Amino acid sequence: MPEWVDPVAHYMIHEGLPTTLRLAAYAVVGSTLIGVLLGTLLTIRFWPLQALIRLYVEVWRGLPILITIFSVDFALPTAPLIHHRFGAIQGAAIGLILWGSAQVAEATRGAVQSIPKEQHEAAAALGFGWIGRHRSVILPQALRRLLPPLVSLLANIIQNTTIASLIGVTELLATGQRSIERLQLTPPGDSHAFAIYAGLLVAFFCISFPLTRLAIFLERRLV
Amino acid sequence: MTLVASFDWHFIWEHIPDFWTGLKATLKVAAIGIGGSLAIGIVLGAARANRIPVISRLAAIYVEVIRNTPILVQIFFIAGGLTQIPGHPIRLDPFTIAWLAVTIWGGAYNTENFRAGFEAVPWRYREAGLALGFSRLATFVNVTLPIGARIALPSSINTYVSVLKNTSLLTAIGFAELTDTAYSLDSQSFKPSEVYFALGATYLLLVWTLSALLRLVERRLAIPETR
Repeated sequence: MPEWVDPVAHYMIHEGLPTTLRLAAYAVVGSTLIGVLLGTLLTIRFWPLQALIRLYVEVWRGLPILITIFSVDFALPTAPLIHHRFGAIQGAAIGLILWGSAQVAEATRGAVQSIPKEQHEAAAALGFGWIGRHRSVILPQALRRLLPPLVSLLANIIQNTTIASLIGVTELLATGQRSIERLQLTPPGDSHAFAIYAGLLVAFFCISFPLTRLAIFLERRLV
Repeated sequence: MTLVASFDWHFIWEHIPDFWTGLKATLKVAAIGIGGSLAIGIVLGAARANRIPVISRLAAIYVEVIRNTPILVQIFFIAGGLTQIPGHPIRLDPFTIAWLAVTIWGGAYNTENFRAGFEAVPWRYREAGLALGFSRLATFVNVTLPIGARIALPSSINTYVSVLKNTSLLTAIGFAELTDTAYSLDSQSFKPSEVYFALGATYLLLVWTLSALLRLVERRLAIPETR
């Protein structure tokens, strides 16, 4: 193994990778919580509520994630009433959650509507209210259908955390790029960009491929 | 009231020409990307569905690699990695990198869309084509393609819309498309609210228009009995 590899790999694995995984964890947990809530509310037949959630879903699904993250990071702090500058990781997490929750909301709506009407009726007959009915009867069953898209979402979110490097989060891609710059500035000045970018592709593939396989497997097993 | 009063509409109005320049570059790259991924999708999707020996295997690897790695890393690999291959550096201009990156990405997703579409065409249709004396290629062109492409259309629409959205990432290599234009406008004017509001509105308009147009095509082309 050439001499330059060791410090670069150490930096990327100990600095970049944990940040990538932390950001992905925030994003996937936030997206799931908000998305499941919005998706369940979307099944209520009350048009102002439906229109509002639809607007949320269409806007955050329609915008490129980069634009959402840029807006949260650059434009939101100057907006009246807010005047708060988020840290880079927070800003990126909020951007990813807005996008991810819109995806989850859409999937949840489908999953909840796939539960037979009788389940609602039976739960209502047992004296459950709307909240209890959904929490104890409908959502646990809908979760089976929701699991494959959630695993795909995790793979997608891990890939999309790289966008955070563009607002200065030192995740995996950013640590790779910093290593390239540093190698370029130190003699003999060879950046090893090809090897480092190829290594990044391999690293992301090793994380993402098992997840997409798992999603396909779950899809076959559960649905 | 401060919310409305402090928002500088005039600024947006004044800079429409700037946005227009970026928008043209975005549309150009997106158009090439969509056309290219359509072509790749049909050819490699057909190779996958018909299990054409070596090509099918290579196409499967291509699809898995592209779908399981971030497009931003792919863009940097093409822009920064290929120029540093020891011995044989490949240098491309920003426009080539731009369309190449989004086309390769869209092509992989579309290969999968079309593979599924072609495989969904009932075997008896192809059997009928072969029985009428059509060659395998003629059966594909006259039977499998027109039916399978229509089955693949809804899922490939999502890919085309994503290709358009992904062009925004090209700002990372300094390609002067819409997002890059907005980014430099913001750094000159310090009016991020106005700039990003205008940028977001433009993208939503583009994305919603493109998906509406494609859905119109989908409705027009739908197989009669499913309409």
